Amino acid sequence: MKLLGKDITPARVMAFVGERLQARGLALPSEDGLSENGVEARVDPLSFNLQSLEANADATQGLPLETHRDGLSGRAVVLAKRIFRKAGQIFINEALGRQRVFNGHVRDSYAQMSAEMMRLRQRVDELEKEAAAVAAPVPPLPVIAKLKKPPMPPSAPRPVKEAATVAAPAPVIAKPKVPNRKPPAPPSAPRPLPRNSRRGK
Amino acid sequence: MGQAAVAWQRVVRHLGFNGEVYADEVAPEWHSLVRPASALRPGPDDLVLYHHGIASPLAGRVMHLPCRRGVVFHNVTPSRFYAGTRLEEALVSGRAQLTALADFVELSIGVSQFNARELEASGHRNVKVVPLFVEPERFTPACADARLTARLEGAGRPRVVSVSRVVPHKRMEDLLSLHEELRRIAPRAELWVVGGYAAGNADFKALQRKADRIGGVTFLGRVSHAQLVAAYRSADVFVSMSEHEGFGVPLVEAMAAELPVLAFGAAAVPETMGGRGIVFDEKHFAALAELVQLVTSDAELRAKVIAGQRERVAELSFSATRDALARCLPKVPRTPTKRGPPRVALVVQRYGEALTGGAESLARQIALRLKPHAKLEILTTCATDHLTWANELPAGRSMDEGLPVHRFPVRRPRHLRPFNRLSDSLFGKPLDFVSESHWLAEQGPLAPGLLDAIAARSNDFDAFLFITYLYAPTAWGVPLVAHKAMVMPTAHDEAPFKFEAFADVFNAPQMLVCNTPEEAALIERRFPAAARRRVVGTGIEPMPAKPERFREQFGITGPYLLYLGRMEAGKGVVDLVRRHQALVNAFHDAPSLVLAGSGNVAPKGTRVICVGRVDEQAKWDALAGALAVVVPSRYESLSLLTLEAFAVGTPVIGNAASDVVVGQLERSKAGVPFNLDDDASFSEAVRRIGEERAVMGKAGKKYAAKSQWDVVVRAYLEEFEQIRRKS
Repeated sequence: MKLLGKDITPARVMAFVGERLQARGLALPSEDGLSENGVEARVDPLSFNLQSLEANADATQGLPLETHRDGLSGRAVVLAKRIFRKAGQIFINEALGRQRVFNGHVRDSYAQMSAEMMRLRQRVDELEKEAAAVAAPVPPLPVIAKLKKPPMPPSAPRPVKEAATVAAPAPVIAKPKVPNRKPPAPPSAPRPLPRNSRRGK
Repeated sequence: MGQAAVAWQRVVRHLGFNGEVYADEVAPEWHSLVRPASALRPGPDDLVLYHHGIASPLAGRVMHLPCRRGVVFHNVTPSRFYAGTRLEEALVSGRAQLTALADFVELSIGVSQFNARELEASGHRNVKVVPLFVEPERFTPACADARLTARLEGAGRPRVVSVSRVVPHKRMEDLLSLHEELRRIAPRAELWVVGGYAAGNADFKALQRKADRIGGVTFLGRVSHAQLVAAYRSADVFVSMSEHEGFGVPLVEAMAAELPVLAFGAAAVPETMGGRGIVFDEKHFAALAELVQLVTSDAELRAKVIAGQRERVAELSFSATRDALARCLPKVPRTPTKRGPPRVALVVQRYGEALTGGAESLARQIALRLKPHAKLEILTTCATDHLTWANELPAGRSMDEGLPVHRFPVRRPRHLRPFNRLSDSLFGKPLDFVSESHWLAEQGPLAPGLLDAIAARSNDFDAFLFITYLYAPTAWGVPLVAHKAMVMPTAHDEAPFKFEAFADVFNAPQMLVCNTPEEAALIERRFPAAARRRVVGTGIEPMPAKPERFREQFGITGPYLLYLGRMEAGKGVVDLVRRHQALVNAFHDAPSLVLAGSGNVAPKGTRVICVGRVDEQAKWDALAGALAVVVPSRYESLSLLTLEAFAVGTPVIGNAASDVVVGQLERSKAGVPFNLDDDASFSEAVRRIGEERAVMGKAGKKYAAKSQWDVVVRAYLEEFEQIRRKS
């Protein structure tokens, strides 16, 4: 057992406690340290809700029988509830039949919607990753590239350009082509001559 | 969680934002303080802070609100403690909702680092920590219930107290095991368990059987705040065996009550303890029993632990929560002040020419006197009746002798009978903040638009002058604009004045305008940290009076005593009539008693003349013609009636129980105090007035001449300027 407290000397307090326990012939507490308290696990709402809907869709099935009473009166209450259920189940089924159908539709609709949502989320994630890859800034050239290239030995083969081997990734969302205000002149169109060249005509 | 929400409402006001508390299920008697969630209609710029714990339909609704959203996470008990019970699903569902909320909130607040980690684990981004706070002044020995303290006084030692509901994860069975061990070494040891339990529950019955076998265990159940303090203050040690706490408010409360705390270091407990008290990691009951005995008997160790805990309580203060929350929310922009005449908002619960009420008529007089010197606007309600707060005047902007008056509707009328019942149940007892806030909400007037306007227009004015401390617009409005606020409290020694919830009215503003030195002294005694006080008072300008005119108008002959003001039992009118009837029965030449004013009582008696509400001229005529004016009210911050009587040379018979009235009579030497409960005292006062009227009347005139409006106006302008310079 470990103690925490800025205003006590834990070792001294535990020594005192240990002495007292020993004097009484009792076992000492263990020497283990304070355990880390982890956080609770995340609960995925979509799958939890689906599970919960599945478990509770059948309205004709009652919740587990409970009573806050104990002893004989508690048992009597549970027995009475059980008898009531058994006797009335046929009527319960009758009364809650439509509710059962409705709950089933709610469950199925939720299952379809949550599956669709999961698919869409996955797709959005993929698209976001692809968009991020496209939007990533071009890394600056390494400093060494700016240095003057050493003269190439005459017999050495020419290096193949890296860019030529790596195909540029296609853009995820095709940018619409914006027409230029001044479209380039077709190659066959006569070019206007400079003024000076007309002077002789 | 509900308590935290109400406490945070106060914190938010101190950051300049007006906010309201909404809940899914609200009992009708709480509708004044907490509104049903179905009434929540936020605007797109509003921020809704949803306090989340166990599964709630509110979580889903919050996601759909068309506004900015945040979540305050108080944690959810792990479902493993409730496996196989109906609660299990609600607990898991609460965690599922927490995850679902992550993408729908822009701000996620954990009330501890532990909770913040769980928020992050659930996918929340922008996660902040804003701790809860405890007000140590609510856990002093004076706050302890005397009856329970006396009952617990004879209990054996050591006395262990634990505060929590009797539910599985709080591990009451471990407390009983500890107690059993403690009884082996200290046979007279006592264990007190404070908190709700289901008496018929099988688990509880098993606990009770074990407790009966061990002996010395008392389940105190749900208790009032005063009883809670009594339990803390009467115990030797606080022990928590809980295996899950998202914060653990009782740990800090026990620290505030100067009680050494021993706690099992589960979940957020070590963090809440902040290294103070004693945290243990193993439930070795024999060792813990020795530890309890040591902390109880070793005075030096005990003192050190308590001193350390005091520091921890200071760390978890209101200001720590306010500063932490301020870091989460945007700051209210402050524009620089302008030159020229000061721009002032006068905030008062009712306003108008035809109102009966000392503070309200003083508010109007001050407003009209300040008009030539300041750009003044009145912010008030549509109510004219201070008993019901019924909306009798149209909402919106109107003018009063050239002054813009902005009226806001009252959301909820006041029903006096339930309100008086509530007051009777609360007055004279130490309360928690929520109970006091509930009373304040019932007191009203509840005008959310008025509070919104104060918050929204904070930059339109250089100063806000609030008049009367006792009502919601002042109590909740002052924190919104504390850096520009001055308050004329008109405070007197009455039951609500003892409420800690009014500390903001007296401590937060820039200064307090007092009407008398007695009022200033009273405030200093009650709120030692009160803002700077200045005795300003009021000016008196009597109208030329003709007593015969009043006598003719109402057919009054012979000498008369005059009471002028609200006709309410609280003003002492009923008792005054009783004393007067005794006088009439004893003396054949006893003067008549003229009662002028409106209200909910209409006492009758021999030679008692009720003339109803009179106009300004009739008032001065009546004052000038009276043998003496009687001020039977005990609760006065300034008796304007006394000053007005003095101004026309009429002496005053004043209630000796009112320090303020007695102070005025003593300083002026123009009146006689009397005991409102004693016939002989009243008759002696009347006799003295009969003998010394001329001398006293002269002294009164001299005293009243000092109450000049130009002095009063100058004082206000100086204070406005000072606030403007500061901001």
